Amino acid sequence: MLERKVVIVNNAGLHTRPAATIVKLAAKYKSEFFINKDGLNINGKSIIGVMTLAAEKGSELMLVFDGEDENEAAEEITNYFNRGFDEL
Amino acid sequence: MKLDDKTIIKKESITVDFFYKNVKDRFKLTLFTDESGFSRNIYDQNLHRPGLALAGFVELFSYTRIQIFGNTEMKYLNQLTQEERARTLRKIFQFDIPCIILTDGNEPFPEMISLANEFHIGMFGSTFTTTKLVYLVGDFLDDQFAPRISVHGSFVDVYGVGMLFVGKSGIGKSEVALDLVERGHRLVADDVIIVTKKGENILMGSGTELVKHFMEVRGIGIIDVKSMFGVRAIRFQKRLEIIVELEVWDEKSHYTRTGLDEEVFSLLDIEIPYIKLPILPGKNITVISEVISLNYLLKHYGYDSAKVLQRRLEDRLNRLNVDDKRFVDYFEHDFE
Repeated sequence: MLERKVVIVNNAGLHTRPAATIVKLAAKYKSEFFINKDGLNINGKSIIGVMTLAAEKGSELMLVFDGEDENEAAEEITNYFNRGFDEL
Repeated sequence: MKLDDKTIIKKESITVDFFYKNVKDRFKLTLFTDESGFSRNIYDQNLHRPGLALAGFVELFSYTRIQIFGNTEMKYLNQLTQEERARTLRKIFQFDIPCIILTDGNEPFPEMISLANEFHIGMFGSTFTTTKLVYLVGDFLDDQFAPRISVHGSFVDVYGVGMLFVGKSGIGKSEVALDLVERGHRLVADDVIIVTKKGENILMGSGTELVKHFMEVRGIGIIDVKSMFGVRAIRFQKRLEIIVELEVWDEKSHYTRTGLDEEVFSLLDIEIPYIKLPILPGKNITVISEVISLNYLLKHYGYDSAKVLQRRLEDRLNRLNVDDKRFVDYFEHDFE
């Protein structure tokens, strides 16, 4: 199991388009993917779940990857967060 | 199903401001003081009647609790002189009291209001009796301080039984929920379910404020169940009674055949009946879910199908030399 802490850096926050991209990226991997924020633990492979977070700019999220390809999944998804969902 | 203890959310405190705004209409509270004490925190879900503290015994005074002044306290204060009253109140107002509620329509003495303002303690009044108010406020605080956990799944009211479907992403939880809604059952929440412990042995589930009754169906996208199926298809909260885990059929996994041995899943220290359901071609999970619910209701009303058949078998084994394997003795014609 891998844990990665990320901060939302783009101005618009984690809105619908990046949420959909995250879910799409996560779906490529066999590993389970969860996101924790303020005690809310959601499944990162579900769009409703990711939108539930309503993560605004500056909020901290804990990404949890668990499974055979967790390294690759963590790498790609963490990068996407750190790039500010390509909106910077 | 895997759950992480770290994800249990539990409020440590609520502010008096939050308390007042949430309950003022429900409990018919009126405000006697200014709002200078509204930033104080309530840490304790229990309430306290300060009878002994007023009489001067302040050791073991539970000052961290909301203080309830009922008829006894007010009558006691009434028979004191104004000076004594001020001295008595000053003594207990020095403690870090979250707030004060006067019950039964009692009005505060003028010096009580000025002292409460001086010490920045919020004071409210209610027309409810002490017993009723203590029950209501206790229940509200119990809910506020209750441990909660967010669970990934679909939560549906099936024939009045709260059924939570869990399982891996993409196994079809939402589709089962949608199918059940189509058959007249009610969706509580999809995807993110907030489960709250109520009292000692009840779990309540609801959706989140943001998402409510929206759900995602793979291949279609996001749909709003309330707008699409109407108000009959949804409900806001439901007691969680059965957990059904959907999984791809696994030869090595154990599935119950008789239903005599009941499995449970422990959630927030409460054991909930738990059924592991393998998904196989030609298996209609929706109908099976309805059967699970009906069977649960039958058991609740005292009829356990598995036990009934077990008893019949035992009866038969005890009777010797019986040669009536057939249900019907003699096929006369095609009558019933």
